[in-house]
Order: sequence, then C-alpha cells, then structure tokens
Amino acid sequence: MKKFMAMTMAMVMAAMTLTGCGGGGAAEGDVPVIGISQYGQHASLDNCREGFLLGLEEAGLVEGVDFEIDYQNAGFDDNIATQIAQNFSANDVALMCAIATPSATACYAAAEDKDIPVIFTAITDPEQAKLTGGNITGTSDKLPIDAQLELIREMQPDAKTIGILYTTSEPNSVSAVAEYQEKAPKYGFTIEAMGVMTQAEVNQAADTMISKGIDCMTNLTDNNVVGVLPSILEKTNDAGIPVYGSEIEQVKLGCVASAGIEYVGLGKQTGAMAAKILKGEASAVDMPYETVEAFEIYVNPEAMAAMKLDAAVENAIDVTAE
Amino acid sequence: MMDLIISTATQGFIYALLSYGIYITYKILDFPDLTVDGSFPLGAAITAVLLVNGMNPFAALVAAMLVGAVAGLVTGVIHVKFGVRDLLAGIITMTALFSINLQIAGSNLAVERAIDTIFTSGPIMAIMGGSSLMLRKFVMSLIVALVMKLVLDWYLSTKSGMLLRAVGDNSTLVTTLAKDKGTVKILGLVIANALVALSGAMVCMEQRAFSSTMGTGQMVFGLAAVIIGTTLFRKMSFVKGTTAVLVGSVFYKACIQVAISLGLPANLMKLATAVLFLAVLVLGNRQKGGAENA
Repeated sequence: MKKFMAMTMAMVMAAMTLTGCGGGGAAEGDVPVIGISQYGQHASLDNCREGFLLGLEEAGLVEGVDFEIDYQNAGFDDNIATQIAQNFSANDVALMCAIATPSATACYAAAEDKDIPVIFTAITDPEQAKLTGGNITGTSDKLPIDAQLELIREMQPDAKTIGILYTTSEPNSVSAVAEYQEKAPKYGFTIEAMGVMTQAEVNQAADTMISKGIDCMTNLTDNNVVGVLPSILEKTNDAGIPVYGSEIEQVKLGCVASAGIEYVGLGKQTGAMAAKILKGEASAVDMPYETVEAFEIYVNPEAMAAMKLDAAVENAIDVTAE
Repeated sequence: MMDLIISTATQGFIYALLSYGIYITYKILDFPDLTVDGSFPLGAAITAVLLVNGMNPFAALVAAMLVGAVAGLVTGVIHVKFGVRDLLAGIITMTALFSINLQIAGSNLAVERAIDTIFTSGPIMAIMGGSSLMLRKFVMSLIVALVMKLVLDWYLSTKSGMLLRAVGDNSTLVTTLAKDKGTVKILGLVIANALVALSGAMVCMEQRAFSSTMGTGQMVFGLAAVIIGTTLFRKMSFVKGTTAVLVGSVFYKACIQVAISLGLPANLMKLATAVLFLAVLVLGNRQKGGAENA
C-alpha cells in the first residue's frame, strides 16, 4: 500500500512538472494569434501544419512579430477538439487554422459568434461537410484519382481488379470510392471495395480482400485504414499484392507508388491564404476554397522490387533517396 | 477569460444530461450501462437528420429523447428478459447502434448554419436575441440541465422513483413489495438513455454536426463526472445527487480546459485527466477516513 501511494505521488509530481513545462498559452501584446487546431498526430497532418507555417513565412510574415502561434492537438478526440476551438474563440484569436474535418467543424461552430475567420486544410469535401459560404475557406486534399489509375495501369499492364478498403462513416472515403468506381472502367479496371466501421476491423477486411484474388490495392486518405497500414502491408507483401498509396508518407511506409498530394505543399498553399487574410488583403468570406491541381508521382523502388514491378515511371520521385 | 468560463460551463451543462443518465444506471441501479456510447450519438444522428429535414429544433430534442428511451428499453429487455449479463447487454445494444446511427444519418452529417437550432430560434431569441450566441448557448443549456435536474429530483421522490432506488440498494425489498424488479430496472434504463440521447442531441445542435465516433468514451466521461461530483459533496448530505453530478460534469470539463490552456500536449491530456481523477478519489477517501480496499 505504501509503495502504491509512493508511486501515485510520483506520478502526480511528474504530471505537475510536465504541466508546468508545457506552459505557453496565448500571446501577449498586439501580435495577432493564430490558433492551430490539429485533429491528431499523424504524418500527413503534421506535414500540413509544417507547410502552413512555411506558407506564412514565404508570404513575408515573421513569427513573433507579425503573428504568434497557439498550437493545439486534439489527439483524435472530438470533445477535445470542441474545447480547443472554444479556447481559441475565448482568447479572441485573429484566425483559426483547422487541420482535418472534425477540427474544422469544431472551429467553425466556435467561431460563429465572433465571426473569427477559419482556414482549413486536409478536408476532402468541404461542400459535403458544410464548411463553405461563411467566414471560412481553405484547401481541399481531394485525391487525383485519374492520375492514380493511370499510374497503376502503367505499373501493372495486366492488372484487372483493384481492391480498396475504406471506412463507411467517412464521407471523404465514400465519395472517393464512388469516384474510383466511376472512373475505373475507363482504364480497364474493376474495383473491389470493402467497407469497415472501425479500425479494429481493417485487418480482417484486408484478409478477406486478399482472398478475393485482387491484383493490387489502392489507398484513400482514410484515417482508420492508413492508421494500420504497416500491418496491411505485411499481409499484402506475403500475398505478393502491390499496394498503392494516396500520398508520400504511405509510400515511405512501403507502398509501391502513389500519384498523390504532397501535404507540405498543401499546407503552404493554406498558409499563403491565411497570410492574405492576416494582412487584410482578402477576407475568408470572399475566398473560395482551393484544391491542389498539381500532384507528384512517388515511387518506392525497394517495395517495387519486392513486388517484381519494373516499370520506369517518368518524373517519379524516389522516396527512399531522401 | 470570461468567455472561456462561459463556454466551458456550457459544455459542462450539456454533458451533465449524459451524466444524470449514468447517475441513474451506475449510482442508483448499480448497472454498468455501456449503451451510452451508442445512445449518445443516436440522439445526435436523429437530431441532425430531423434538423436537415426542417423539423422544429425543440421537437427534434423530444424525438431524440424518445429514440434514446427505446435504446434503453432494448438493453433492459436483453438483460432482464433474455438473462444476458448487464455489461454484455449494453455492449450488444451499443454495437448495434453504431450501424443503426450510420443508417439513420447516412454518414457523418453536418447541419448548415442557415438551419435553426434551439440556440437560434424560438423562445431564446425572443428573450435574448440581442446577446451573443455564446451567451444564448450558456443560458439555454443551463435551463435544460436545471429543468432535467428538477424533473429527476421530483421523479426520484415519487413512488416509482423510490422503487428505482430500492432496486439498486436492496432488491429483495422490491420483491417483498410484490413489484417486479426487472420492470423497474428497464424503466431506469429507459429514463437514463433518454437523457443520454438528449445530451447527444444538444451536442449536435451546438456543434452543428453528427459524427459516428462521437460516442466513444462518453460512458467513461459520465462515470467520472458522477464519481467526482458525488465525491466532492460526500460530506454535504443535503446536496442532492443530481446537483453533485451537475457540478462534477462542469468540473471535469473545466479541468480539460485548464490542461488545454496550459498548452499540455494532447498525448499527455488523458494522463493528466487520469491523475486528476485519482487525486479527487484519493482526497474523497481521505475525508471519509481511509481507503476501504486496503
């Protein structure tokens, strides 16, 4: 019992120290504060934030002089995202930057009263999420699906069936699957889509998918699926099925290739928009949200070799070279 | 600072409704009801769909409560009539609700700003249409939380409410009174989940969105609010359980807000809440005169 008490005390003290060190909060003075609410820790989302800051910098704004950052991360918890947004609103931040849909929804709700501009990024379908037509704008990370299908055709000239795992509750995924199904025949593919409801089901679904005899798999930006990508890749590698990613981080993890968005670039674009608002050159009300027209082709030669793929894709970026 | 206190209290009031529900099941009936993680988003799903289809927001709240009550009824019937263990009965309903919620709402659903909620229509606009939305949300949630508290207090003092309390404390007494304790348990679950769904409906209106995963962890939140509240007021027996739960809910939300304001990294947030939770419990036990489990 004594030991238990001692341990408890130690934990409380440790937590207090950490709390003390983490202090920061809102900035003082007249420097406008940008509240960044990121939904969770995740390589793509981190890249968005990094790019956002670069975008502000490239627009000539200097942190500490022209703006201060109050960065908060909700750890994939909607309730925390709500409270973060209310914190921003109460502190009268000059602008809220929301990374991923749940954070954007929370920020938009909290900003309604004070009409604080909200700028979002990493949202596939802002229309569907009703994040348009107010003091809100940002960038969408809609996938370049045609380019991805072209890429798969180039890599695997004989492939017929593409498997896609997705979460049924993610509107982004549902609309992407529909688009894949619509466009696949043009490239001579059929799509084998399989929906899951929770992350726990993804692995089982992957097993089922492999047993159906697909020629390859392609990923969306589905958080549940991408979250367990390494374990999916283990299974598909054993079965000799190439997996195509939807952005660079997935290719780094072992997907063979991807025609995808580069999130740092997306973040930069978002940062540039935020800079215009901060400088007073434009208002979020009049700025339509932007999508990325440009995309990059990423390849992972190691993963390709393991899958015995030897297509030489033009202008491809080798992710293992970095 | 004032704004922060107001919006944090608002969250506390809205989630107090859920905590009342858990107060009934956990504290009064001694029933660990996991239906909550499903009935909370159920209330939100129904509300989102009804609002989008132009229903009056107050009617939507009532509809959400009714549907939540049905969820409680299902858990109750599974437990009492089919003899499934309490924890499992809740898990079964919760799991089924995950699919049902998605069937109802299609997928995650957003409610446009143009659509009126209880915070932007009817009585509240007539009385305080000139004040800020934040203040309206505060007043409206406070009213709903207080009304529900008073209704519950009244109900628990009626004969039916007494029986409810008896089932948790001393179920043989209920049997000797020639009452069926199973029916009483089901009634408790029905009331509790109606309140939980109401809470979900309010969150949906406040956030203008339903998300299929919004129920995750709500049971734990409610449990914490109930335990913190009752522990804080352990010595003050004149304070009603529902009041304690209301305070507990606001207190818990306030703690999270403090953690956010301090700039605590998200990864440590849950640890901080766990430590705080433990501290309240340990202090509560101290007051009472030492731990019982030693």
